[in-house]
Amino acid sequence: MAAAAASGSGTPREEDGPAGEAVASQPPAPTTAPGARLSRLPLARVKALVKADPDVTLAGQEAIFILARAAELFVETIAKDAYCCAQQGKRKTLQRRDLDNAIEAVDEFAFLEDWALTLPSLLH
Amino acid sequence: MAERPEDLNLPNAVITRIIKEALPDGVNISKEARSAISRAASVFVLYATSCANNFAMKGKRKTLNATDVLSAMEEMEFQRFVTPLKEALEAYRREQKGKKEASEQKKKDKDKKTDSEEQDKSRDEDNDEDEERLEEEEQNEEEEVDN
Repeated sequence: MAAAAASGSGTPREEDGPAGEAVASQPPAPTTAPGARLSRLPLARVKALVKADPDVTLAGQEAIFILARAAELFVETIAKDAYCCAQQGKRKTLQRRDLDNAIEAVDEFAFLEDWALTLPSLLH
Repeated sequence: MAERPEDLNLPNAVITRIIKEALPDGVNISKEARSAISRAASVFVLYATSCANNFAMKGKRKTLNATDVLSAMEEMEFQRFVTPLKEALEAYRREQKGKKEASEQKKKDKDKKTDSEEQDKSRDEDNDEDEERLEEEEQNEEEEVDN
């Protein structure tokens, strides 16, 4: 009885029990099978991009999904290529110029130079 | 329709996460570089969409499908993306199929429930008869035990 009184005047101790769980402020994780990360980019945003093209009438759900996944692969690829440039400069922080160098150096990224010019309103 | 440029950009948090996971630990990325990659990704989607749309139009279709996008990747010289994309597509199709079957199963269960409720009524009547028989047997056993 004395122990109970000593532990506090009836106020619940939240640190001890499972009631002290921190409320997760992050959005819920997608319910995909472990190891199978289907897509991290929100399909709604990708769909908005696709619809921005005036020539496109409709796009199937699978097409949107593949575009999202391709965009992820693209980000990984360009980040790695840009990193090679930063490594040469013995830096550990990727800078804008590393990206510009990668775009110039890699043929596949040539479209970025052209498109960035033709769609300034979208990408300022 | 006035669409803000931000709406056509992909979420920064996700882009940052993808970049960090692609690079070795301890490597950072400046804000300008990250923002440039994010915009590049948007341009990539737009360019890929346009290429894919050409394939759809060639096939006289109005809806872009997965094959159109894969063809676009090859056209854009991103053949190395094709295999991982095909794998991702198969996984996606399996997941969609699973979801569809799950919802169909739920519907079947719901229908079954309404059917089985009717069946239970007749089953209860049979059970009553069985219970009577059991009671008789128990009485018999008790008599034997007494002896």
